[in-house]
Amino acid sequence: MKQLTLKNIVLSLALSVFAAGAFSADKPLLESVHKDLGLTCKDCHSSKPFNEPPVTACFECHDTKELAKETADHPITNPHENRHFGTETNCNYCHHQHKESENYCGSCHLRFKLVTP
Amino acid sequence: MSKKNMQNQNESDLYTSHVLQNGISRRRFLTGAAASTGAVALTGGLASTAATAATKGSEYAMSSDGGASLEFMPKPKPIADKDIVSTQTFDVVVVGAGASGVPAALSAAENGANVAVLQKQAIVVSQGNTGSGLDLSKCDKAGVEALVNRLMADSAHRCHPDLVREWAYNSGEAVAWVIDRAKKGGAQVQNQYSKVQHGIRGLTEYKLNFHTSYFGPKPYTTGDGMRALAKYAEKQGVNFFFNMPAQQLIQDKSGNVIGVIAQSRDGKYHKYMAKKGVILSSGDYQNNKDMCNFFIPDLKNFERKQMDRTGDGFAMAYWAGGVIEPIGHTKMLHDFDAGPASMCDMPFLAVNRKGERFVNETTAMSLMNNYLRDEENAGHYSQVFDSEYMTRAKDWPGKLYDPEQIKIYMPEDPTPKKNVYPSQINTYKADTLEELAVKLECDPKIFTANVKRYNELCKKGQDDDFGKPVNKMAPLLKPPFYGIHRRMRISTLCSGMLVNKHHQALDADGKPIGGLFVIGNLGGGFYGGVDYPLTVFGLSLGRCYTFGYLTGKHVANL
Repeated sequence: MKQLTLKNIVLSLALSVFAAGAFSADKPLLESVHKDLGLTCKDCHSSKPFNEPPVTACFECHDTKELAKETADHPITNPHENRHFGTETNCNYCHHQHKESENYCGSCHLRFKLVTP
Repeated sequence: MSKKNMQNQNESDLYTSHVLQNGISRRRFLTGAAASTGAVALTGGLASTAATAATKGSEYAMSSDGGASLEFMPKPKPIADKDIVSTQTFDVVVVGAGASGVPAALSAAENGANVAVLQKQAIVVSQGNTGSGLDLSKCDKAGVEALVNRLMADSAHRCHPDLVREWAYNSGEAVAWVIDRAKKGGAQVQNQYSKVQHGIRGLTEYKLNFHTSYFGPKPYTTGDGMRALAKYAEKQGVNFFFNMPAQQLIQDKSGNVIGVIAQSRDGKYHKYMAKKGVILSSGDYQNNKDMCNFFIPDLKNFERKQMDRTGDGFAMAYWAGGVIEPIGHTKMLHDFDAGPASMCDMPFLAVNRKGERFVNETTAMSLMNNYLRDEENAGHYSQVFDSEYMTRAKDWPGKLYDPEQIKIYMPEDPTPKKNVYPSQINTYKADTLEELAVKLECDPKIFTANVKRYNELCKKGQDDDFGKPVNKMAPLLKPPFYGIHRRMRISTLCSGMLVNKHHQALDADGKPIGGLFVIGNLGGGFYGGVDYPLTVFGLSLGRCYTFGYLTGKHVANL
C-alpha cells in the first residue's frame, strides 16, 4: 500500500468522529472516506475477482495498538482492546466498507451502545 | 465391521464401543462405501450411485450411516511443499491456547519437552472463573467414589468412567499446580478450597474436599489467568505462535500424526513438526452454524457467548482418522452475570419472556434452556421476588445477596459496578408489578396474571400447577419487587473426539492414533448428559487444567 503516512490522517479522522459522538443518519460509507484519501480497489483487494481482504490489509495503514491507546478512555468500553481479541479484533467485524458499519459488540453486551464509523 | 472387531468391542468398555459403533468417523464411511459397492456387485448395474457416494465421501465428512455428507467438514485441500514458507521442529505441538492448551504446553515443557503452541487469535483465550479438583489428602476414597457416581449420574451414565476417575484422582494436584504457576506469572488467583462447593452438600457422608482455583473477581477471569500462565510458560521456554490457526495434521504413511500445517494471516503456510506428539485443544464449534445444527439442533435459537469456535480441531482429528461422539452432544448454557451466581438455582417464581410461569422452579439453571429453546424465548427468563426475599428464602440452597449487595447487579442503580461485568448485569427493582414487567421485557398483563395465580397457589399452600414444595413457594406481595432477567447463552459445548484414558485419539477400530492427543472441550467421554452439570462448581475448567497437565507430562515423556 502506498501511503503509510495515511495512518495519522485516518486515525485523526476516526477520532474526530469518536469525539463528536454520533454520526448523522446519512453518513458516508467508509469506502468513500478511503476513496477520498486516494485509495483504489486494489490497495485492499489483491486479486480479481475481488477477494475478501485479510485484516492485514487494514494493518498496513492502521496501527491497532495505537488505536487502542487513543480509545482507552472511551466512556462505554474500549472497543479496540477487549478480552476476546486483545488489540487485534478483525476491523471488518464492525467497520464495513461497502455497507453500513455495525455495533458488533452490542449484540451480546447489553448497553454497549457504540456508534461505529 | 468384521466379526472380530465386533468381538473386541464387546470386550472393551460400553462407552467406547457405543462411540465406535455410532460415532462419526472417516473409516466408518469407507466401510459403508465398501458395503454399498458390494451391493452393487450383487444387484448389478448401479455403479453410478456408488460412484457418486464415493465422490461425495472424498470431499466431505459423512454422517454415521453414510447417508448424509457433512459439508461443514470438507476434506482438507492438499498443500504443496512449495507453498510451505517455513518448517520448524518441536517435541510437542499444542493447537489452541486456552484453559487446557496452556497448562498442557507448560506441563510438557516442565517435563523437558521443546514445545510450540499455535493459537488462532492474537491472544490466549479462556472464560469463566472457577476450576476445581479434589484435595485427595482430605478425602475418603468412598467419598471420591460417591462423587464419581454422582457425576456419572449427572451425565445420564453415558460418560466414560475412566475419564471421570482420571479427573477425580488427579485434579487436586493439577489445580494446585495451575494456581502455583499462574501466581508466578502474576495472575490474580486464589484457592477457595471447599468454600464455594455448595452443590455437593449432602452428596456423601464421607470426607470430600476441594482445591478450587478462582481467577477473579470479574471482570478478571480465567482468560486473564491463562494469559498470565502463558507468560510464565514462555519464560520456561514454550514458544507461542499467535494468529497462526492450524489447518491440517501431517501424517506419515502409517497414519501417525507427525506435525501440523498452520496458516498465517498473510495466507502463507507454515509447518510445525512434532517429534513426540500433537495435542489438540482447540475447543468447541458453537460458531460453526451447520455443525452445531447437526450435532445439537436444540441450540438453533440461542446466542453464542464465544467467537471463532468453528470446530477446526474436530475437522482435523476427523480427517486424521478420529471418531466424533454421535449426535446429541452435551451443551453448557448459563448466566452468572445478570444477577448473583449464588442465587441462580434459588427457586423464586420464574417467568419466561412473555411473563408466564413455565416450570417447577427447583429445576437448576443449567437445565432451564430446555424450556426456552423456541425463537421467542431464545433462552430468556426472569427470577422474580418481593422485598421480603431475605426471610422467605433464608433456608434455600445458595447464598442470598441483601438489598444493598444486589445493587451491583442493577444497571439503573448508581452504585459503582465492582466485581461484575457492567455490560451483562440485568437485575431490576420496581414499586409495582406492571413496572417490573416492563423492565424485564415481559407483557405486563400476562406477567401480573401469572403472579396473581402464583400468589393464590402460595396462599393455598399447594402448587397445583407445577408441584413445587410448599417451603419454596414465596409469594410476591410487598413492594419493591425484584427481577433478575437471565439470558441462557452458549458458554461451550463439551462433547468431542473419542480418546482413551491417556487422552490419545482412537480410530474407528478403537486403536490409538500415533502422535495425536485431544484435551479440553474438544475431548469426548467426560460428559454425556443433555446439559453440563453444576454439581461441582468449576468442573469444566478443572477438567481442562487436569487433562492438560496430565497429557503434557505424558507426551513429553514418550
